[in-house]
Amino acid sequence: MSYEMIAILMFSSMMLMLLTGQRVFGAIGFVAVVASLLLWGDRGGYDLAFSSAMKLMKWYPLLTLPMFIFMGYVLSESKIADDLYRMFHVWMGGLHGGLAIGTIGLMVLISAMNGLSVAGMAIGATIALPELLKRGYDKRMVSGVIQAGSSLGILVPPSVVLVLYAMIARQPVGQLWLAGVIPGLMMAALFVIYIAIRCRLQPNLGPVLNAEERNVPMGEKIRLLGAGLLPLFIFFVMMVPFVKGWTSLVESSAIGAIAAFLAAVVKGRMNRTVFETCVKNTLGISCMFMWIILAALCFGAVFDGLGAVKAIESLFTEKLGLSPWAILILMQVSFLLLGTFLDDTAMLVIVAPLYVPLVGELGFDLIWYGVLYTITCKIAYMTPPFGYNLFLMRAMAPPEITMRDIYGSITPFVMVMVLALVIVMLVPEIALWLPDYFYNK
Amino acid sequence: MTGALRGYIRIIDGFNYRVGRIMMYGIFVMMAILLYSSASKIMGTPSLWTLEMAQFAMVAYYMIGGPYSIQMGSNVRMDLLYAEWSTRTKAWVDAITVLALIFYLGVLLYGGLASFAYSLGHFGGSPIAFFSELFHAFFTGGTEAAGEVLGFIERTASPWRPVVWPVKFLMCIGVFLMLLQAIAEFFRDILRLTGDAA
Repeated sequence: MSYEMIAILMFSSMMLMLLTGQRVFGAIGFVAVVASLLLWGDRGGYDLAFSSAMKLMKWYPLLTLPMFIFMGYVLSESKIADDLYRMFHVWMGGLHGGLAIGTIGLMVLISAMNGLSVAGMAIGATIALPELLKRGYDKRMVSGVIQAGSSLGILVPPSVVLVLYAMIARQPVGQLWLAGVIPGLMMAALFVIYIAIRCRLQPNLGPVLNAEERNVPMGEKIRLLGAGLLPLFIFFVMMVPFVKGWTSLVESSAIGAIAAFLAAVVKGRMNRTVFETCVKNTLGISCMFMWIILAALCFGAVFDGLGAVKAIESLFTEKLGLSPWAILILMQVSFLLLGTFLDDTAMLVIVAPLYVPLVGELGFDLIWYGVLYTITCKIAYMTPPFGYNLFLMRAMAPPEITMRDIYGSITPFVMVMVLALVIVMLVPEIALWLPDYFYNK
Repeated sequence: MTGALRGYIRIIDGFNYRVGRIMMYGIFVMMAILLYSSASKIMGTPSLWTLEMAQFAMVAYYMIGGPYSIQMGSNVRMDLLYAEWSTRTKAWVDAITVLALIFYLGVLLYGGLASFAYSLGHFGGSPIAFFSELFHAFFTGGTEAAGEVLGFIERTASPWRPVVWPVKFLMCIGVFLMLLQAIAEFFRDILRLTGDAA
């Protein structure tokens, strides 16, 4: 059997195993060990499975994952973001769609503190969503804003998705994080422009706050600005020692987690139940990620051993005669299609080992591709029928928002994100300028 | 028969639950190590051991805490079809596919034991034979005879150079507990199919 055939067989049996609904790590791990046992006999087979566990252990930046998960739970469970929302509410309420724009601002701040999109989603759905609905905002608008906004979490540093990407692509995490800054802010700006235009044309989607609510004394307004200091404080406590080179990335993430925890304690929001939920769920989610990565590393190692990437590359360039750009665009499209029916974490660890080396073979910049990859992931999370964000939203939103509303709400925002993706593809400098500026002075 | 299955599930569930409840505080162990590490760097006397110690802590955290995460149902499934099935169909399919999970964990455990044996200076052949020889020597001739069986002790390639075997040992225990938990899940599916809710 040719290597291409083996690769295709492995991939399709993995998809089949995933469809049975067994735990993702079990499905991937099983296919990987069976393939390696058949290919290289018993010794090679079991060595490969366990050596991926050792590889995982030695991969130091992965320690940021439990730290950010813990921090995300602390931020969302202890509700210390309430004041932050109040700040935007008071300052932006006077504009058409102002609360929606304020929510995007809230999401940017939360993204700057945490590397996962779940935290932003939870805060958006529990704090911003009920307030916006009460003020007569269109429910589709609101649900779209929260989903789109929370997805910024994985592009604005610190970002866990880019940490995982860095592991697979063997690229420096610091440069990848810097590369995400401008595209992330650009995307937030595009969202804001879209909301502003849409609400100007259809004012009933995002009504201005009534005079009574707008009439907040200036002193109170200034006091609320103080709420904005919390994320800035956490962001700087985390990023300054890292950028200055005093601490490593991982140590910074631990400092950030501790800072968030202390902030919750000082504000008196850390009680027994919140503490229990945070600690317990951090273990659950960390284990889920780690075991999937463990199995996927083993799967990836079998693929590496087969030289499958080389085979696929030659299939595209030599047999089909496609140019590198055509292949890149095809890859992004297929990525989006896969993303509609694959679970997000599964996609992250299965698709990346296949695609990333191929992009490298074609001669593209892997830092730049990291940003494209992350934006594509974000879009995939949000597209029906299988978007992780959609289900989270369904779980957190009040019952008057139906699954139909949620599906409908994301369409314009997905279009904005595709636009951002195209812009970054055409103008790589948007992603590459900042890391170049910092690292090649 | 069902009584035995139920007993097994109760014991394993209870044991892994308690272990998991302890391991979940491991997040604070990792934080403390990393905080100490940053402090020592800022003071200008970076410590050598923190990096690897934090890695060891994380391995223990997710390996030994793993069975509890299975109990909590944190391990995602792709529920494209799964979500639509009846409880009985789910139990049927799970009872079959969980065997794949058990197989994977079994291979992983065997690989772990081989690697553990390697870290104690055993380079080829079956790890089982090595460990039985080791135990035999220990119980007949005490620690000295057991020391004879050991070969070159593996260390990591870092300035701190800790021995590797303790962490490999912890990993083997973690995978073993995962295996026990996966078997408990298998028994639970069987009980569901025979009509006794576990």
